[in-house]
Amino acid sequence: MKIAISGLNATDNPAPALGVAKSLKGNELVGFSYDVNEPANYLDVFNKKYLMPFPTLGIEELIDRLKQIKPDLIIPCLDAELPLYIKYQDEFNKMGIKTFLPTLESFELRNKNKLAKLSDELNLNYPKTYEISSIKEITDLIRENKLEFPFMVKGNYYKAYKTTNIEEAIEHFYTISNEWGFPILLQKMVKGEEINLVGLGDGEGNLVGAVSIKKLTTTSLGKIWSGITIDNKKLLQTAKDFVKATNWKGPFELECMSDGEVVNMIEINPRFPAWVYFATEVGVNLPQMLVKLANGEKVEQNLDFEIGKMYVRFTDEVVVDFKEFINLMSKKEL
Amino acid sequence: MLNQLIIDENNMGYIPSMGSSFQMNETAKEIISYLKNGDDKDTIILKLAEKYNQNENDIFIDVSDLLTKLRIYGLIK
Repeated sequence: MKIAISGLNATDNPAPALGVAKSLKGNELVGFSYDVNEPANYLDVFNKKYLMPFPTLGIEELIDRLKQIKPDLIIPCLDAELPLYIKYQDEFNKMGIKTFLPTLESFELRNKNKLAKLSDELNLNYPKTYEISSIKEITDLIRENKLEFPFMVKGNYYKAYKTTNIEEAIEHFYTISNEWGFPILLQKMVKGEEINLVGLGDGEGNLVGAVSIKKLTTTSLGKIWSGITIDNKKLLQTAKDFVKATNWKGPFELECMSDGEVVNMIEINPRFPAWVYFATEVGVNLPQMLVKLANGEKVEQNLDFEIGKMYVRFTDEVVVDFKEFINLMSKKEL
Repeated sequence: MLNQLIIDENNMGYIPSMGSSFQMNETAKEIISYLKNGDDKDTIILKLAEKYNQNENDIFIDVSDLLTKLRIYGLIK
């Protein structure tokens, strides 16, 4: 079975493909890359690597490329490409290409600008968030005492910055909107520490696997560098409630803040996180479960993992012939 | 969260639900065990003063200091 995985970046802002691929070792794996500089292009984890058309080019370009590659299953791991893969999953299925993705409706329910409503329905706490599209709205919210420093300035898809004064708020507003557009979200800060969960929904309301962690150290971009498995029943229940309410099909990551008692929902990512291999190593191989579910096989629920296991990232190097770089750039495959 | 705190033989405290860990000395470990038993601040001071034959005022400072730290770390309210 030829399994395609996207998200081959493996820098200080790593994408999930490497972790997913390591979890699926032994299968025929192909990497879907968007840039010749993505480090995983040069690793032997994948049997083949392909440069893919950017999602902004649309479905026809993607379908043409998929007809050349002929994967049996695609596991898309990047936020920017997910709407396209989700919207056209039936088309892919007709081409004989399997996916295991949520419906567009479920996917949109967890959009950052809709998370407050979903959190209400799930009886979860969600920090007060304002959706804005102008600087004036920031100053108005502060003047009207609806928002006070520090607060978070967030993009609807990517980026989040803590801000402590109006100058910072304006700078972050422009940084995010220039790169990712509107709306911009202003979110009240909540007390506590960040805790995370990676899970897999079967599309019928069941959480088939999950692992909860706390990030112990992070990079300057907030990406995990070391972490520890935790036993947080409220976080697990939140995941079960989310999957049940949305009939979530596919992988997801919950990002929450907790002071030990209250769990505040911060974000739901509709894909595997880059640290998914941590879950595999502690005995919950979610990518393998996804492959089985996509093939119509039964999967036993697995929520058992050892508490207190530690995950540590490290840097590594690989030396390859420059021809590989040239070949990938010119032939679009390696 | 104090009731969740697990302390190992090396006096390392660990909260399984939050992944938080704390290093503590023997006295802190002892005070935490009194707190877990439901003893209040005054009772703990009395017990420690009696056990170690120390002045209650000196013990008061140490116990207050630890309780402040436990509040800062969110282990007690």
